This record gives sequence, C-alpha cells and structure tokens, in this order.
Amino acid sequence: MRSPTVWERIARFFRERFPVEKLSYDELVRKKTVPIHRRSWGYYTGGLVLLFLLIQVVTGIFLLFYYEPTTTDASSSVEYLTHYVPNGEFLRNIHAWSASFMIGFLLLHFLTTLSMKAFEKPRELTWLAGVLLLFLTFAFGFTGYLLPWSQISVNATKVVLQSLVQASAFLPGGLASLPLDVRLALQGGESVGQPTLSRFFAIHVVLLPVLLAVILGFHLLSVQLLGMSQGVDTPAKRHERFFPSYILKDFSVWTVAFFILFFLALGIPFAAFLPYPLAEPFYALGPTPLGIKPEWYFYFVYYPLELLPFPVILAGMTIVVIGLFLIPWIFRKSSRRAMTALAVAGALYLLIITIFGHDIYRLVRGGN
Amino acid sequence: MHFVRLLAIGALCLWTAARVVAFPEFQRYSQRHSGVSIDCAMCHINPGGPVGSEFGQIGSLDAQDQARLNQARAALNPGQIVDNPILNAFGDRIVQSLGMLTVLQLRSDPAGLAPALGNVSDLDKDGIPDATEYLDGTNPLDPESGKPALLLGNRLAGHWLSLTFAFIALGLLLYGLLKLRRGLVKENE
Repeated sequence: MRSPTVWERIARFFRERFPVEKLSYDELVRKKTVPIHRRSWGYYTGGLVLLFLLIQVVTGIFLLFYYEPTTTDASSSVEYLTHYVPNGEFLRNIHAWSASFMIGFLLLHFLTTLSMKAFEKPRELTWLAGVLLLFLTFAFGFTGYLLPWSQISVNATKVVLQSLVQASAFLPGGLASLPLDVRLALQGGESVGQPTLSRFFAIHVVLLPVLLAVILGFHLLSVQLLGMSQGVDTPAKRHERFFPSYILKDFSVWTVAFFILFFLALGIPFAAFLPYPLAEPFYALGPTPLGIKPEWYFYFVYYPLELLPFPVILAGMTIVVIGLFLIPWIFRKSSRRAMTALAVAGALYLLIITIFGHDIYRLVRGGN
Repeated sequence: MHFVRLLAIGALCLWTAARVVAFPEFQRYSQRHSGVSIDCAMCHINPGGPVGSEFGQIGSLDAQDQARLNQARAALNPGQIVDNPILNAFGDRIVQSLGMLTVLQLRSDPAGLAPALGNVSDLDKDGIPDATEYLDGTNPLDPESGKPALLLGNRLAGHWLSLTFAFIALGLLLYGLLKLRRGLVKENE
C-alpha cells in the first residue's frame, strides 16, 4: 500500500478540521448536542462575545450617521451627538460599554477555552481563528479610541505609535525598518494628524469589519461543524440538544446581559471614568495633559511597559504572541488540570495588573 | 462712603488688569481635594487659562469684549449679572453668586468656595451641585462628568420608569423563553 502524498495529507488535515460533509440540517440542528458538566458555563462565553459584537455593529452604524472623521469636526460631532441628538448619549454609552464588555468576555472566552483544552485536535484551526479574532478586537479598540479626537485619544495614540520607533531600535538588520514602516503607514505623515484619523477611521469601519466577518464566519462555522469540545477529562455523561435547549438558554443569557448593559449605559456615562481635561477636544498647541493612558484592556501591556525595560517587554510579547498561535501543538499532551492552572495564572495576572496596575506603578516608581 | 466704594472698584479694576492670571488657588485646592488632575476649563472658556491670544483669552478680546471684561470685574457684590468673555458659565455663576470681593477673599481660603456656593446651583443639570463638582474635580458644565456613583444614583432616579419597564420586559422574556424551551424539549422527546 502506497503512503499518501503531501497533497493528500494536507487535504486530509483540512477535511478532518473542517468537515464540510456535516453541513446539513440534520447534523447542525437535529443531531447536534452540548455536553453538560461542571464547566458548561464556559460554552456561553463565546455567545456573549457575539452578542456584544452585534451591539457594536448596530450602534456603530448609528454613530456613523453623525460622526465626522476630520480633526476639525470629530470632537464637535461627538459632542453634538452626545448633547443634542435624542438618545445620542445613550447610544454612545452603549457602544463604549459594549466594547468593554466584548473585550472582557473575549478574554474570559479565551481563558475558558484554554482551560477546557478546546484547541485539541481537530479544533486547531478554530483556535487559530479565535486568536486572530482576539487581535482584531484589540485592533478595533485601538483604532476606535482615536476617533473622538480628544486629548486622551490623540495623546495615547501618539504614545503607542512612538513605541514602534522604540521597537525598531532593538530589531536586527532589515527587520529594524518594519516598525517604522508600519508607523508611517498608520500615521500617514510625520505626526498624528488628519491622515492618521482618516486611516484609523477607514481601518475601524471598513477593513477590520471585513476581516472580522471572514474570520468570525470561519470560526463559527467550524464550531458548528465540529461541535462543542468535550471540556472535561472524563467525557460528560449527560448531553442536551443544541436546538432548542441550548440555544434558548443562550438567548436567556443574552437577555440578562443586554439588561445589564442597558442599565449601565443609562446610569453611568463611560466618559465619567476620565478626568474631564482628558475628554476635551485635542489641542495641538497645549501641553500634554497628565494621566494619559490607554483603555483598561491594554493595561496588561501598558504597565509592564512603564515598569520594565523595553527590550524585555518586546521579547516577552513576541514570545506570547507566537506562543498563542502554537498553543494547540505546544500543549497537545498537557492535561486539562495543567491547562486550568495556566488559565487561572493568566486570569490572575490580567485582574491584578488591570485593577492594581496604577498602585503597583506608584509603589515601584513613586509619585502619581 | 460712596467715594470709598468707587475708589475700591477703581483699585480693583487696576489691580486685576495688571494681574490677568487665573486664580490657581481654586484649581490647586480642587486637585488636592479630589486627587484628579484638572485644568482651567472648570471656570474659564479656554482650558489653558485667561492668559494668551487664543479664543477666550485676554489677548484675543476686542474693544467690546474688553468692556464686558471690565464690567464683569466690577461686579464686587453678589447678585449682579456677569457675562465675562474669559469665564465660562460656572466662572460667571461664582462671581454672580458671591461677588468679586468674596471671590478675592476666598483665594486665601479656597476650601470655603464650596460652602459659600451652597448646593443650589447645578448648571449642567446632572443632579450633582456645582459646589460638589468643584470638590470632586469634575466639570460642572458637562452632564457626563461627575463621580460615577453619584451620576448612577441621579440618573437611575431620573429613568426609573424606563428601568421598571425594561425590568418587567426582562422578566417576561425570560419566563417566555423558559416555557418555550420546556415545551420544545418535551415535544422533541
């Protein structure tokens, strides 16, 4: 018997991981089941990310009706929307709150899938698509932050783009010019200005949504084709039907999540968490205001950058990013117990640095 | 007595014209009390303060604005209408409520500004008195600026009807979904 050719092996690899023959009503609706065990709650985290993404899309379209992507009008258009458009403030708040919820639940989804070892064969491609979606979501957060053209948004963007210049100093040979080229491509000129805003706007509302739609489509379809992962070491004894049982439970969770979002968006303006000078329109001739920081979901990299030498962070981030993509192969033989320990350590790091990052910074560096 | 009063006004106009700086004592106190970095936009039109030639600064004023400025500076006693071209609505409200003489006296005791203003004025109608916003280092003219817990309480009180209906809708929807799920599961069995 002849051994399979390289092409046959590649075809088999993709057939196993993306079994299109299961693309039928019977397989996807009538026969699909979800395991019931002590970690079943983890299955709902992905659905919640999807809910907040849908809210982002709908509210984002309404924001587009009023937003002006120019340095002269961006902040005044946001102010007009907030103070003069009926329910404009609520719309803006729900967009901001759901962005934070989306990233929060995406991180939770990432940690639960890691601890449940949901990346096991044949779900490696689903995992890779998920990691890409994680980075795309961070890119959404980064590009969207600049759009109000406020003191904090412009100055924080400047800080991030400046870190690319720092990175180039530590890269060898031809790679050294890569961060500078990326910076120039994003910035569109010598400093952050109209070309930067135009590019960030185009990336935020066109490029990233298109990429997201393609990768999310693949991610969701592969989840449907391969079914929910086992989640625990001993296969679950009980299962429930995906339709109608699980999907209606999922909708119930969505309903509660939406109510909490509605409550917060109505009750607390997202801008209230910022000192008011940071929310003022960007003033190019004035001094940089104190307290410039990225959004909370970047604290896990911002505070280490403030505290540790840049090359250490650069090396660490490179290892983490590559490691995230290779997790299905690195931890192929690890137990779920070990994966849970890793996920808990990751969760603790994210929680501590996000909540106490500023205090840790003050403790180490002193001052405010 | 009238002569002494006129003399005091004249001296004050000359003194303030020579010292066109803001009153940073109030800004410093607000920062110290709240622990939040703030700028001159709490009371002034320009966040950079009154000195300079940008919009809302002394150097940009024409003759008409200069006259308004002098008139505002002469508002020594409380109750006079103030329309200062370098102050925002909160700055004007302070002068209108207390008068310039009291404002100048309070420079040596900036903690006294909040009690002097009282809890009557709430220019942005966010439910937080302007005096509290001064102490909290938040913007008294922006309804989105305020301590989150205070804003939450005030806004929920203002939206209690919407929230009650949303809560009832949530309960009914959850009940409906539960019944639907049980029914469909039973039928599928």
